[in-house]
Amino acid sequence: MSAPLLEFHDVTVAYGRRPVLWNIDLTIDHACLFGIIGPNGAGKSTLLKAALGLVPTTGGTVTFFGRPLADGRRRVGYVPQRETVDWDFPVTVGDVVLMGTYARLGWFRRPGRGERRLARECLARVGLEDVADRQIGRLSGGQQQRVFLARALAQEADVYLLDEPLAGVDARSQETIFEVLAALRDSGRLVVVVHHDLRTAAAWFDRVALIDRRLVATGPTATVLTPENLERTYAGQIELLDELGRAVAARRRTP
Amino acid sequence: MMSGIPDVVCCVATAPAWLAVPPNTVVVAAGVAAVGVAAGVIGSLAVLRKRALAGDAAAHAALAGVALAFLATGRRDLPVLLGGGLLAALAALGVLVLLRRYTRTRDDAATAIVLSVSFGCGIALVAGLTSRGVPDAAGLEHFLLGHTAALTVADAALLATVSAAAVVVAVVGLKEATLVAFDPGFAAASGWPVAAIDYCLVGLVAAMVIVGLPAAGAVLVTALVVIPPVAARQWTDRVPTMLLLAGLIGLAAAVFGVAASALVPRLATGPLVVLAAATLLAVSLLAAPERGLLPRAWRRRSARRGAA
Amino acid sequence: MFFGDSKTGAAMGHALSRALVLAVLATVVVVPTTSQETAAWGDEPPRPVLATTTIVADLVRQVGGDRVVVDCLMGPGVDPHSYRATPRDADRLAAARLVVASGLHLEGKLASLLARLARRVPTVAVADALPRERLLPVADGLFDPHVWFDARLWSEGVPAVVAALVKLDPAGRAAYEARGAEYTRRLEALDGRLRERLASIPRQRRVLVTAHDAFRYFGRAYDVEVVGVQGTSTESEAGLADINRLVDLLVDRGIPAVFVETSVSDRNVAALREGARARGREVALGGRLYSDSLGGPGSGAETLESVLEANVETMVAALAGGR
Repeated sequence: MSAPLLEFHDVTVAYGRRPVLWNIDLTIDHACLFGIIGPNGAGKSTLLKAALGLVPTTGGTVTFFGRPLADGRRRVGYVPQRETVDWDFPVTVGDVVLMGTYARLGWFRRPGRGERRLARECLARVGLEDVADRQIGRLSGGQQQRVFLARALAQEADVYLLDEPLAGVDARSQETIFEVLAALRDSGRLVVVVHHDLRTAAAWFDRVALIDRRLVATGPTATVLTPENLERTYAGQIELLDELGRAVAARRRTP
Repeated sequence: MMSGIPDVVCCVATAPAWLAVPPNTVVVAAGVAAVGVAAGVIGSLAVLRKRALAGDAAAHAALAGVALAFLATGRRDLPVLLGGGLLAALAALGVLVLLRRYTRTRDDAATAIVLSVSFGCGIALVAGLTSRGVPDAAGLEHFLLGHTAALTVADAALLATVSAAAVVVAVVGLKEATLVAFDPGFAAASGWPVAAIDYCLVGLVAAMVIVGLPAAGAVLVTALVVIPPVAARQWTDRVPTMLLLAGLIGLAAAVFGVAASALVPRLATGPLVVLAAATLLAVSLLAAPERGLLPRAWRRRSARRGAA
Repeated sequence: MFFGDSKTGAAMGHALSRALVLAVLATVVVVPTTSQETAAWGDEPPRPVLATTTIVADLVRQVGGDRVVVDCLMGPGVDPHSYRATPRDADRLAAARLVVASGLHLEGKLASLLARLARRVPTVAVADALPRERLLPVADGLFDPHVWFDARLWSEGVPAVVAALVKLDPAGRAAYEARGAEYTRRLEALDGRLRERLASIPRQRRVLVTAHDAFRYFGRAYDVEVVGVQGTSTESEAGLADINRLVDLLVDRGIPAVFVETSVSDRNVAALREGARARGREVALGGRLYSDSLGGPGSGAETLESVLEANVETMVAALAGGR
């Protein structure tokens, strides 16, 4: 019996005395497109950051393939939220994608021909091969998100963690990104996505976890996204629930 | 080919004689040029990492270190004083990094605190030394303004060595420095020790600032660390090119400043170097093809005319 | 903030802050007033006099003798151009019975403090009392303050010191006038001796290159050509053109030695020697001259007379030698 790909065990994260995440127990043992859904401030991004060691946990452990992160960082790829970057930084699209290969290169080695070829391939997979020499500030929102996706692809990881990759992205870029993620899942990789939009969540993800500082429910999408679960998670956002109820029902009807 | 090399060396070594350049000018130009190049390169990394003011904090903290080194050893040799200055600068920058990591203090406030407290200590120490009439204490205060015109060959050699070493470190670690400057979250998630790399960068800045103290003084060396990188940024969108240009602009500022000071009497050299750098910055801000103010205005006008 | 978020905690914190402020105010008010008690003790001899530099302190001691005890603000080796007063200095100046300064902006950073205190405390600036036509102008109505290097000119400042001491201590008038006259005679004799001694240096080698322009009066009085790297004040930074010009001078005129000063950084002089060496001319370090300060106790140069003689001996040894 092989170890689960990603496991959160009793994870608690608190800023000062305010708890952001509380006793999260979550296990993912198959490669799939996994969505983390919840209202604003539910701690979804924090969950990813805790997994990556970017925020300290006040309790619990996170393991990848049954081992702590330090043992297998190379196998974990990360696409952070878009706003964390300075868009005026003097790097081109190609430069950013190449950064995905740095961890494999190690200290002081420069990227060589192999790395550049890999970067070009990753750019092609997200449809950005034409803008490889453009400075990143001169891209549209969707293009910017695809650059970071390409960088993650260049990491050639087995588990991918993406933080709101589709926020503020035009519809066409959303399609492209989703196709890339689905292709990753089809090739046997786990793709965990913090997602903001319940409508598309119902359509895209194989399995989801509903988070509102605690884990409300987890499992296959159709089973989890019930009106009861949604009401427990999104308490008070009634119009949303109506719309969602309809979307979920529609999904159930199509086989 | 092999026999030609000694001839070339002879030619270059006696160049001052047949170019009729005074030997002091050559020494000062060499020393300041070394500082200009290294400050430009290291400063680029600091500016990209948004730690441009770290140089300022280091320069002000160095005064306390210089005074303490003099107190501890009683000697005034440049390496001793600069060593003390470096230790103090590293301590101050260490406090700065710690303040940012473990308290809620923001970058600009933390820098201001560290800068003013360490500078205050330095002034108090130096004033205490001079008012007690400690022999040889005269001149410690001049670290603030530098005495560029009085650089000796030994000083210039020290400056050149440290500058070369700093540039080598910057080039070797360029990929790591760029990664951490651009996306520290991604770097940390990929397993890079972001804090250690930050300390190294900040340490390099401190070393450059300390070594530049005799050349330009504490107040002016910060300018050399910040102005050439900002000027270089206007001309390019790639990090390696930016470093190269910043080094060249620092070099040009040094040469122009030293030349001007050698031609006009009663003008201090350090400030002229900074003025030269500032002029190059103004030119860059105005005239750089992509980002310059004038080309952008011209493009806007011709776009409007084209639309009309 | 130490007391938590409760209302009583806030009130306690408030009260503590106010107590702290009151305590600070009390200290600031009480401490200065206690220093006024010491003002009463200067009514019998020896009278206390506060001088700024060691050079004027020496002058006051020579004229005042046992009837005064002279305290000096700046110690030996201190550069008066850049000396900044500490709060304790300000207290000492304010509490003094007589303040004697050098004047002509030598104590550049004390000028405003001295001017303010002059309204309450008797102050005399020795060089300010000298006739203007005997002074060397620098720029903009300012004069070179290094007047003590001309022994005869410095002796013309004695009457001002005598008058100030008489005002402080009228009973000692006879003593002060006698000592003043005696000192003036000694300075004039010294003046003649120095001129003779310096004449032993051949004219074209009689060039004094130092760190700053402290010796212009010296040069005028004793027929020595003087060149300083920095200007009249050490506060200005030397320029490269000036250094080059001086190196040219050293090489072209074959000057055998340059001199450093006890109270000024010697980096500029080191640069000069290196520049000359690069052009094939070895220029010796002639020695250390006392410029803006006398020597410390035990140096053999605690008075102006010994300093002038020591300086001249250093110069003669370095420049006169047959090379």
